[in-house]
Amino acid sequence: MNRRVPLSEDARVNSATGGGLLLWLSWWNAYALRETLVGYGLILPSLLVFLVFYYGPAIFLMYIAFFHWNIFASQSTFVGLHNFSVLIHQPVFWQSLLNTGYYVVLVVPVTTLLALALALLLRETRNLRGGGLSQALVFLPHVTPVVATSIIWVWIFDPTFGLANAVLHFLQLPQLGWLSSVHWALPSVMIYTVWHSVGLYTVLFLAGLATLPKQVLEAAQMDGVRGWRSFRRIILPLISPITFFVIVLATINTMQTFSQIYTLTGGPHGGAGGPAFSTTTDSLLIYQTAFLYLHFSLSSAMSLVLFALILTLTLVQKLIADRMVFYR
Amino acid sequence: MSKFIAYGLRAVVAAAMAAPIYWVFVIATGYHGAAYSIPPVWRPLFHWAPFLFVWTHTPWARYVVNSVVISASTIILVVVTSALAGYALAELKFPGNSMYFYVTLGVMMLPQQALLVPQYVVMYHLHLLNTYTGLIIPFAASTSGIFLFRQFFMKLPVSYREIARLEGVSTLTYLRRVAVPLARPAVATTVLLTFISSWNQFQWPLIMTVSSQLQPIELALSHYMQAYQSHWRELTAAALIALLPILIVFALTQRHIVSAVAGGEVTQKD
Repeated sequence: MNRRVPLSEDARVNSATGGGLLLWLSWWNAYALRETLVGYGLILPSLLVFLVFYYGPAIFLMYIAFFHWNIFASQSTFVGLHNFSVLIHQPVFWQSLLNTGYYVVLVVPVTTLLALALALLLRETRNLRGGGLSQALVFLPHVTPVVATSIIWVWIFDPTFGLANAVLHFLQLPQLGWLSSVHWALPSVMIYTVWHSVGLYTVLFLAGLATLPKQVLEAAQMDGVRGWRSFRRIILPLISPITFFVIVLATINTMQTFSQIYTLTGGPHGGAGGPAFSTTTDSLLIYQTAFLYLHFSLSSAMSLVLFALILTLTLVQKLIADRMVFYR
Repeated sequence: MSKFIAYGLRAVVAAAMAAPIYWVFVIATGYHGAAYSIPPVWRPLFHWAPFLFVWTHTPWARYVVNSVVISASTIILVVVTSALAGYALAELKFPGNSMYFYVTLGVMMLPQQALLVPQYVVMYHLHLLNTYTGLIIPFAASTSGIFLFRQFFMKLPVSYREIARLEGVSTLTYLRRVAVPLARPAVATTVLLTFISSWNQFQWPLIMTVSSQLQPIELALSHYMQAYQSHWRELTAAALIALLPILIVFALTQRHIVSAVAGGEVTQKD
């Protein structure tokens, strides 16, 4: 609405209505003011939650990390980088970073590729009987509670009676120690994580595939582009924004895996972390340092490192994506 | 021919994904020692006695009630805060409107694991440790909820609000009587997604609660797991208690949940 021009003209042409116009103006201002106030009132509840429980703690994190902070003491002193220098002299810190790297580097590509394959499979067969059911079953693990389903997976990974070794036995392969083995404990958690999360990414890919422009696919098919070539040259570039989104989401999620590591490799080991720290990832170490050993400032220093790592990785992925992602 | 192979492959994949959940039933309702059989048992026997034994010998009812109270309160709060903020973002002009959009989005970018310690300290100072409130309030607002409502309210005809304003209807009344009832799909989606995430919560209750009186089911399960090491029938029966509500809700609303998570329709028929 253009309020300026008609206002001055109106005022000159007809002074009799000038009073009404002023009234209208002040009403307009009151209305805008009212709308502003109502707007602030409506966002206030969620804003408070975000500030107090998310943004506030994010800023507070820096403070704790650079001060020797004690939850039970009233004063704390600035210690600068002391917490970080303690941190880099702890072998278990480096071990946790290595474990996290190992975990992320395997889980993210495997989950992404598997999800893409499943999405293509579900899409190809969507008009055959039971398409909806198959899609639901692939997605189902993602909504199940982690502790409840970890219970059955601990049984599956049981070296003597478990399903995993029964399958290996059936395939005539050597049997493994799974969760009780130093080398296989983390891969076992990876298998659980892929099972639990692949449905989510499959569904994201399916949503991406559903929006592909039909004309392009049909034109390609008429030109004789099919199968692998059609996938490689047409489908893959068209869904690259979704692929990027899935990779970023999977990286952020896997870097912060906690519940399944805690439950699958917990039990007799007390605070979890697997045999010989083999499944102690960064988020597990952050939890243990703070809530088992009550060393809050050291744990905050680790949290800052994790924060920086996730941020860096996301930025790097964004840089790579700018070269590879094709936005329609 | 290739259709046939794809069909078979799909059946195998779907079965493999569902298998672990199927085995929870098999072992929980099987005969004693079913978990220790070689080769593994494949068929459920529907013996409900062990299930009843587990249910009556540990205060699961209490834990289920805790989970229900926490989930229900979270759902109500999320729907209210999301509807309010979503409406403000979609319909109202005020300085900072677009900034609040990014504030909301930014919450999703904060890595949850890195915030645990400062969040714990905040809860300590607010005297919310080991309380129901402490288990609920931090989840009372949700980015996806706000975005869902915002998207839905943007589709409402402007004339509805104009009429409401001319009739002198207050914003809250308009929201309660007109806008939110029209946004029923957004409400349903928010309720479902919030239910799943709060029913499945584990880490937050783990650091927040000391007394077992407040424990939600997932946390109680993890303690039970450590006490009943490899008593598989008891453990799976207990897991079933936590699983059943999710399975029932999923069975009834899976189409809705899947498209809600995907942020759009995932199936498109030719």
